[in-house]
Amino acid sequence: MDADSDVALDILITNVVCVFRTRCHLNLRKIALEGANVIYKRDVGKVLMKLRKPRITATIWSSGKIICTGATSEEEAKFGARRLARSLQKLGFQVIFTDFKVVNVLAVCNMPFEIRLPEFTKNNRPHASYEPELHPAVCYRIKSLRATLQIFSTGSITVTGILF
Amino acid sequence: MASTSRLDALPRVTCPNHPDAILVEDYRAGDMICPECGLVVGDRVIDVGSEWRTFSNDKATKDPSRVGDSQNPLLSDGDLSTMIGKGTGAASFDEFGNSKYQNRRTMSSSDRAMMNAFKEITTMADRINLPRNIVDRTNNLFKQVYEQKSLKGRANDAIASACLYIACRQEGVPRTFKEICAVSRISKKEIGRCFKLILKALETSVDLITTGDFMSRFCSNLCLPKQVQMAATHIARKAVELDLVPGRSPISVAEAAIYMASQASAEKRTQKEIGDIAGVADVTIRQSYRLIYPRAPDLFPTDFKFDTPVDKLPQL
Repeated sequence: MDADSDVALDILITNVVCVFRTRCHLNLRKIALEGANVIYKRDVGKVLMKLRKPRITATIWSSGKIICTGATSEEEAKFGARRLARSLQKLGFQVIFTDFKVVNVLAVCNMPFEIRLPEFTKNNRPHASYEPELHPAVCYRIKSLRATLQIFSTGSITVTGILF
Repeated sequence: MASTSRLDALPRVTCPNHPDAILVEDYRAGDMICPECGLVVGDRVIDVGSEWRTFSNDKATKDPSRVGDSQNPLLSDGDLSTMIGKGTGAASFDEFGNSKYQNRRTMSSSDRAMMNAFKEITTMADRINLPRNIVDRTNNLFKQVYEQKSLKGRANDAIASACLYIACRQEGVPRTFKEICAVSRISKKEIGRCFKLILKALETSVDLITTGDFMSRFCSNLCLPKQVQMAATHIARKAVELDLVPGRSPISVAEAAIYMASQASAEKRTQKEIGDIAGVADVTIRQSYRLIYPRAPDLFPTDFKFDTPVDKLPQL
């Protein structure tokens, strides 16, 4: 295992979740009727708006809180959020783009070898937890980095978390 | 009158000269005697067991117990309370025929939820015939979780089911989530969630499940002879050692092993039957079976009598 030569090991960011606030109340019905590419979930009280250019799905609440998912990098998340705020502005709301914050980043990477999960769990007792009946991956939590890794037996690893 | 053996949480009296000696109880005189030196350590010890044994088919009307239920000091904080019983004479009924003093409910209101949960745990355990030690362990776990209050928002039944699952694991006789699901009204997802939360709250961990834990139960449910069971255990263990089934749940591997062993012997079972017993879908068994089928000759134990030879095993 030449672990030293391949430190980065082609890790790919697949999802960036961010939140921001428009400092105004949003009329969900108006957005649902007049906006493009929207799904109105009346029972829960939110509107889903999907953008094409940075491929982003945004959940809009009437309080003005918006959660943006699906971006592949932090800059793209910011672009998409701004574009979304712009489209809301075009619908007539007095949108002010505030409190932009990245909440969660998800990345995948692939190990070139397979992993034996039961032995791995035994050796990493407090951090790793493996429940084959519930989920086929080992859940490894790194508290200091606030990260959670899901390690599959095929060698692919999903990393998720935030670091402020 | 048998003496209770619930001495764990009660303050232990020990002989001053022999602190390690287990005291012998003389119930006729109410003494606890040290077997080493004969010193009477406890005097006039009150037996807190139940006065009468109660069976589930007894009618609830006639309760001959004069002293109340047996004390459970481990779990409820003191069971001492007064209840007003149902009246028997004519004076206890008012003019409409309703009984006066209807209030016989209020007892240990602080732990009523806990007692309800204990009853639920006993009912669940009874359905799958779990022994008393697992039920006691479950009760203890529930008490710890309840006192911590970190899972206060969750349904008590969900926490009880998860505690039952953990207790079975800790005693070395794990039950699958699906088996616990079958005796509880909570969904598998919720039990799994509570399970993880409880492990975090109590800061314990449990051992991993292995294929051998379930063999005896599944095989006897399918009425398979001992030979087949031993063969299946061997197959499953070998399959895991050779890492033929990476990422498969041990239950599925065990099922596939049972299928292979039963198909090779005189007692054949279909995948559907095995799937019904274990709660596994038969496509899952098929997948795991396909993985272990190529190495079938290596997996069987050496002294196994084949009714159907290895090359004639069904290939799916």
